[in-house]
Amino acid sequence: MRLTRIVRSLQIGWTAARVWGMYKIPYWLKKLRGRELSESELSAIHERAAQKTLDLALGLRGVMIKMCQAVATRADIFPPEIIDKLKQCHDAVPPKGFEIVREIVESELGKSMDAVFSSFEPEAMASASLAQVHRARLVDGREVAVKVQYPDIETIIRTDLANMRRVCRVYEFFDPRPLPLLPLLVELTRHLGMELDFVREADCADRVRELFVDDPQVKIPVIHREWSTRRVLTMELVGGIKITEKRKIEAVGLVPAEVLQNLMYIYVRMILAAGFFQADPHPGNLFVSPKGQIVVLDFGLSKELPEGFGLGLFELMFSLMTFNESAMVRAFEELGFRSKTGDTTTFVAIARRMVNRSDTGAFEGELTEDMTDELFEAIREDPVAEVPSDFVLVARVFSLLSGIAHSLGSRANILQAMSGGGPAPGPES
Amino acid sequence: MSDALVYTPEQLLSSEAAAEPLIANGVRCHGGFDVDGQYRSPRTLCRAPAIEAWQAQLSQDGHPLLEVPSRAMPPQYPNAAQAKLLLRHGVREPLVRSLTIISIVEGFGAMIRDVQVPDLGEVLVEPFAGTALAHLQSGLFEAHARDESGYRDEGGHKQMWEAARDAALENPHIPGDVLMRLMGRRGQGGRPAPLFPEIGQPLERMLGFMANVLVVEVFAEETFRWGMDILSDPDVSAAAEIAGGMVSHIQADEKPHVEYLRTALSEVSARTIKTVEGGTLPGKQVIDSLMHRILEQTTRARPADQRDDLRENLAESMRTATNPSALQDDFDALETHWAPPARTGFEAAEDAA
Ligand SMILES: Nc1ncnc2c1ncn2[C@@H]1O[C@H](COP(=O)(O)OP(=O)(O)OP(=O)(O)O)[C@@H](O)[C@H]1O
Ligand SMILES: [Fe+2]
Ligand SMILES: [Fe+2]
Ligand SMILES: [Mg+2]
Repeated sequence: MRLTRIVRSLQIGWTAARVWGMYKIPYWLKKLRGRELSESELSAIHERAAQKTLDLALGLRGVMIKMCQAVATRADIFPPEIIDKLKQCHDAVPPKGFEIVREIVESELGKSMDAVFSSFEPEAMASASLAQVHRARLVDGREVAVKVQYPDIETIIRTDLANMRRVCRVYEFFDPRPLPLLPLLVELTRHLGMELDFVREADCADRVRELFVDDPQVKIPVIHREWSTRRVLTMELVGGIKITEKRKIEAVGLVPAEVLQNLMYIYVRMILAAGFFQADPHPGNLFVSPKGQIVVLDFGLSKELPEGFGLGLFELMFSLMTFNESAMVRAFEELGFRSKTGDTTTFVAIARRMVNRSDTGAFEGELTEDMTDELFEAIREDPVAEVPSDFVLVARVFSLLSGIAHSLGSRANILQAMSGGGPAPGPES
Repeated sequence: MSDALVYTPEQLLSSEAAAEPLIANGVRCHGGFDVDGQYRSPRTLCRAPAIEAWQAQLSQDGHPLLEVPSRAMPPQYPNAAQAKLLLRHGVREPLVRSLTIISIVEGFGAMIRDVQVPDLGEVLVEPFAGTALAHLQSGLFEAHARDESGYRDEGGHKQMWEAARDAALENPHIPGDVLMRLMGRRGQGGRPAPLFPEIGQPLERMLGFMANVLVVEVFAEETFRWGMDILSDPDVSAAAEIAGGMVSHIQADEKPHVEYLRTALSEVSARTIKTVEGGTLPGKQVIDSLMHRILEQTTRARPADQRDDLRENLAESMRTATNPSALQDDFDALETHWAPPARTGFEAAEDAA
């Protein structure tokens, strides 16, 4: 245990140093010769750096994959060379061999594979940070997707978290105005622990499905409980176009802006109205059916908000979209933000900054891509003592959604989503 | 200035200097009081005379001003007598829920600033300089949006309703299902089918939106009467004067909304619309059809749906009373029946089509 920990830390440190060197050394050399790096030189460096990072992530798995997923969603921040490489982490991590999968499935279900499945694809159809997914058919003929947890993932994740805790302390030591990362990490630890329990995941999927039971535009796969355990999840096989594939979406006659609006409505309804939501909207977890239905997968990271929190978030977003600074200040306080000075001047300043940013004239109630980034930047520069941890997870969701918006080349109208939807997607008539 | 027909956005957004600001339950709101203590709505310094001048011009040109029939106004549920009965029995939740929903719906009025206005010179045959229509995007929509949801450091109607609620009911707990009620049921049919595919859809969408808001604004009269009846009754309201007054200020602020919307829609009615294929269509036909559809929708299915939706919840809330079943009986006895009028008053266009 101790040894793996040291090995993993060293590997991360070594790769970080090399990636850093890749950017810095050519830069220094060029500087010596007195010219800037060219586009194509930079692009080649991006590509190599991304490859190194990806290799490391695929070797180490666990939290590193999660981080690469997050990077790969932010097409608005990172260059395309990096996005293209790292997006593999969303659903195409090299899977484990079939023999290992069979062993896990049989020991978890307590039956031989043939007793449960009439067929089981040996090749995984997708694989992500915690599990790989195989297409199979139950003996009664129903087509299913079987999500099988990687065997050693629990240990890996525990080690990663211990490592990150150390990195965090170092960061907080060196940065004169650090973001409060440690509570975030505690939160992340809690989440990963939950994500590893597929029974809990099944419960969360059921809960969200129930929420949208009347809504034909949302699809949540049905879970086959009798063939599911903590480490194996057997569910209805679903499919569609990956949500970021703009061309394919257009090719079936859907309008990307409407798909995005539909997605935004779904998240706003889960987060603000229901206070319970799937908190991991990265592109590997979201499909669009040819009829415009949004398929939501992977309820491993689902979150219940404390009572009243959804309304507080609603007020915060609403005040931002309607340029109301004083209402925004009240919302910050209601949500549990605390300033170091104990008064509201900090929030007045943040609210003014955010509203100035959104009230640019061209604004149409959309959550601009970097609005959440702007908020965190503002929080960082002004002395905010306490950011509620639930808020951090919500902000992450909106930042992932912004990334998807960017890929679709559209903007969602949040006010419209909050008022109950917006245009229903469907082929343009 | 009273006869002027052309204004800048800054003028339409400007307010009279107030002798005293409006502070509602600790929150600075828009508008204020003059030296005589009279409430003055915000952003009416030029907007009020402007609307009067546009209306005068319309009538001078021989065109009528569109009228939304107030008899089509669906009542609030629970009605004022029922709400008071509940309050007297300590059952606050239904009223808190209603008032909160009203405040949020007011706030959503700000969406009017997002409405896309097509190039009207391209779609109207007759000139329209010096009309309300010409000022929609240069001040009128923005003023309306600010009135509803506040702006910068001033609250608007959303915050004023919240203040009335919190003052009258002493900062009540807000039920957790409020947002679900608002967002829970999205239009299953999606975007309504165009009534006039032959005209540009941005134009139809804009007119449809404005007609819808106009109907909501007119029907809000009923909400104000209801709100004032309850909130200004010292028997059930902890701040009868403040809360009742707040609702009356909101009511006063709504007048310019109703007036500019009906003026602009009437101005379209008085003109000719170009179709995309180079033909024309009387504006009146388009406006009347849109009004007819909206009135039908808002007076037919919707009120009944909303009422059924609430009944279950009401029964649940009443369970906290000492004698729930007696309360339920008393409550039902206060029920007032309402049926939508047989006609919307805008059928002519339908029949002609
Ligand atoms: N029911 C299903 N039908 C079809 N494909 C599925 C289904 N469930 C999962 N998949 C595919 O398998 C991939 C991995 O599944 P899932 O996201 O649940 O795993 P994970 O390890 O929890 O992922 P993450 O890294 O996102 O946390 C998904 O991205 C998707 O492509
Ligand atoms: Fe209003
Ligand atoms: Fe209004
Ligand atoms: Mg996933």
